[in-house]
Amino acid sequence: MPQQFIQPQQNHETVTDPINRGQTGVGTEPLTDVLDAVLDDISTALDENAEEYVSSFVQKGGQ
Amino acid sequence: MPQLRDSSSERLRDEGEVCPGYNSFDRICGLETEYGLAATGTRRHCEASEAAMAMFRPVVMKARSTNTYLENGARLYLDVGSHPEYATAEARDPMDALKQDLAGEAIMRNLASSAQQELRTSYGAGTTVHVFKNNADSSGHSFGCHENYLVRRYVPLSAIKSQLLPFLITRQLFTGAGCVTSDGFEITQRARFVEDGVSSATTRVRPMVNTRDEPHADPNEFRRLHVIIGDSNRSQWATFMKLATTHLVLCVIEEAARTGKRSGLEDCALNNPGAANRALSADLTLHAADMDPTDADAFLSGIDRFDNATHPTHHSGSEIHDVNHHTTGRKITALEIQYRYWSVASRFVNTHRQAMTQSLPHSDCDEVLADWKMTLDALQSGDLSFLRSKVDWIAKYELLSELRNRGSDISYARLRQLDMDYHDISAGVTYPSLCRHGVIHTLVSADAVRSSVQTPPNDTRAALRGAFITAANACGGEYACDWTDLKTSRPQRLEAQLIDPFSTEPPADYQRLINSLHVRPSHRS
Repeated sequence: MPQQFIQPQQNHETVTDPINRGQTGVGTEPLTDVLDAVLDDISTALDENAEEYVSSFVQKGGQ
Repeated sequence: MPQLRDSSSERLRDEGEVCPGYNSFDRICGLETEYGLAATGTRRHCEASEAAMAMFRPVVMKARSTNTYLENGARLYLDVGSHPEYATAEARDPMDALKQDLAGEAIMRNLASSAQQELRTSYGAGTTVHVFKNNADSSGHSFGCHENYLVRRYVPLSAIKSQLLPFLITRQLFTGAGCVTSDGFEITQRARFVEDGVSSATTRVRPMVNTRDEPHADPNEFRRLHVIIGDSNRSQWATFMKLATTHLVLCVIEEAARTGKRSGLEDCALNNPGAANRALSADLTLHAADMDPTDADAFLSGIDRFDNATHPTHHSGSEIHDVNHHTTGRKITALEIQYRYWSVASRFVNTHRQAMTQSLPHSDCDEVLADWKMTLDALQSGDLSFLRSKVDWIAKYELLSELRNRGSDISYARLRQLDMDYHDISAGVTYPSLCRHGVIHTLVSADAVRSSVQTPPNDTRAALRGAFITAANACGGEYACDWTDLKTSRPQRLEAQLIDPFSTEPPADYQRLINSLHVRPSHRS
């Protein structure tokens, strides 16, 4: 099973920058300090292997 | 499915004998949300189907089926592909539909919690069950959040295609949930998976609007518009606005179909809805993608008639407007199309004030219009700080950008994990943290959500269904029901039909059913 989870284009060295698409109209303004707290929460909780986490979620489609 | 019928737009009967809700702008709306499932931290691989069966164990114990209706009037079931699904009870007001949808999240969270306890005994103490309110798994299988709107039968599907689809595509500027993909960040989760405009297909080729026509009401009077283009939203504001703005646009389209007059939305029709949808989703500049209307000149000539009168300044923020104004072949952006819808809806509310006010029992049309307009203005100007508290894709995009800006070496898998975690209503930390720290605003209190788990909307048929299920559960009766039919096999064999979704008046057969449930059987076989 695990082999089918890994798609060729998911190799992050070959993909387009997942966040930036060059020129954007959004996200230029710095966020407030409150995001420090949010990012702390996330990094504390999500310490598991990201590849494994992502590949665990495979189901047949719905509508 | 007794109400299934073909999709013609002709009424079959005299105008005389219609339900009271027919001659108004009142509407029933609802949401069907399919959830994704995964288990992590397991000693060996746990299939989604196993997690799903563990989640539905308490449901099967109680209902002897993975398909059941709840005391709040909603439907809970296990859909094809092991997707837990929750369909809200009938709501007249988008705020009620939002509350019912949040009740669905709470119900799924409880089921996931008990499934996690169970799975830990066989998969290890580290097992975590994830329930994703998103629209694609990590290998590209898509599932949906479907909106249902009761629409008067005389609205032809051609009007839905030419006048509603452009709205459904462009509203994603503020209803898109955002998605990390290998080609970059996208505004919507679904654009890669929906192709056709309006058709009867579902899973093989997904249309944006499905014509499967089960009105769960008198089919002579109504059709059910089944919208499947939308993303699942975590933002409560986005869920509310998605339903509220679509209601306003549907009122315009209905009235034009009823009177045979122009709606003002005809020029919004798009050459290629699928291409416009994909272009919008990939365009983070918000000004580059061409929606390619069928008649761009007609659309542009409408700017003076519609948009400038109500919104004289909205062109000034965009260079493209000033340079190319009124020239043949220039592109039309999603924002321009949204402004057109806003202008037409705004005029319509002003000229149909009483009926429109009545159509939303708890919400205010003017507030919806004002919020819609502020949102478009913020998107137009690029000032998105105003929107990060409301729009899923912007909140997610800014969070991920911030993470990137802090210089951490962040992998593609990690970005996708954060994207998924945002949608995890069971074990996710990102969305609750964003709410707790005030980055994302909520509209519904935790108490109101808890109450909606038990209580249906009080101004639709759902109130009768909910009372029936509550009474049947209380006396240990055996029953079955769907959206329109209620049946008991114990204590007595009785049935009732609730064909008018607007009505809370108990019909005589319903009253007999309820009375039978309030008489305790003397002995139970």
